[in-house]
Amino acid sequence: MKLENEAALDNLIICYQCYTLHEEVPIKDGSKACCSECGGILYRYDTKLVDHGLALSITGLIFFVLANSFSLIQMDILGTKQFITIPKTILSLFENGFYLVGFLVGFLIFIFPLMIFLINILLFTLLKFKRGEKTTKELLILLAHIKPWSMADIFFISLLVALVKLVAFGQIHIGIAFWTLMVFVMY
Amino acid sequence: MIEIDEDKLILCPICAAVNIDKGKKNVCRRCASPIYHHRSFSTEKSWAFLITAMVAYIPANLYPMLVTSAFGTKDESTILGGVVMLWEHGSYPVAAIIFFASIVIPVMKFLILLYLLISVKYPIGKDKKVDKHKLYTMTEVIGPWSMIDVFVVAILAALIHLVNIEVLAGTAATAFAISVFFTLLAAHAFDETLIKENK
Repeated sequence: MKLENEAALDNLIICYQCYTLHEEVPIKDGSKACCSECGGILYRYDTKLVDHGLALSITGLIFFVLANSFSLIQMDILGTKQFITIPKTILSLFENGFYLVGFLVGFLIFIFPLMIFLINILLFTLLKFKRGEKTTKELLILLAHIKPWSMADIFFISLLVALVKLVAFGQIHIGIAFWTLMVFVMY
Repeated sequence: MIEIDEDKLILCPICAAVNIDKGKKNVCRRCASPIYHHRSFSTEKSWAFLITAMVAYIPANLYPMLVTSAFGTKDESTILGGVVMLWEHGSYPVAAIIFFASIVIPVMKFLILLYLLISVKYPIGKDKKVDKHKLYTMTEVIGPWSMIDVFVVAILAALIHLVNIEVLAGTAATAFAISVFFTLLAAHAFDETLIKENK
């Protein structure tokens, strides 16, 4: 294989799933290129990516704040009402002495998702005004490191499982945050 | 004009840029992240994390995951005990989810990672037509889902706090969280380029 110089490597792309080498070809606006071997998505082309991304990440952040400030589930057991929020769940782990689990859960469902949204907003703003190329690069690298550790979606499924378990105990009211979390997870 | 072998092209794990393999130490030309390619200790880090995870998985199954104290009586249930209880109560889907998330997925991940780590070092299963890249991607995707049980216990423990009825997390919650955390680390530490080399 012959190449002009090292920058010509940018025209090549390796599939992240099966490590097949591909050559980048121009595609239509709004479409995506898939690997011919395994069907994994290689890259997309979208001229409005920055605007869409910015809008979606701000919406996501709003829903994240809402999901954290309202109650997730409210329960009536034996005449007493109890409710939880996401921060309360994490804090109660600390109160019961499960510092390690509390620490881990706090990072996985609170700090990392929040960081991803903040980084995304910063990134798209920088890209929109075409400024701070070095910061953009550093933010992208940071994002790649954090992304696999955000588990808000898994937390949502756990919430569903917990709900089914709780049905036997007493009356359950699903809070506002439950719906906002659902919306937030979809972003 | 430079001429390179197609096998010499490697992928940056962080920014997905294509790089030329220059031997022992590679640095990505776009994002400057190191691309690990140690010939001397390529799998040791991943081995260490995997063994830690497997050790932590033992107490996670032996100690109680959930302690329910209702009206003076204490009821402790392990992960497997909880699954059996749910099954007997008739909540089959939830029992199945918990069973998959806390038993099938971790064990499968251990086995797949063990297989991958052994097969890149010793010529086992080279003749077999197993897609190791697919196996690896699968472990990365399904891995975090085993956290479900820890989250469920956290939710239950936070929600049910009464004078008479109380749900507390057990010792196994910590062990299980550690186990999942280290399997995730082991999977991330695994050098994917080794699979290609040993094909």
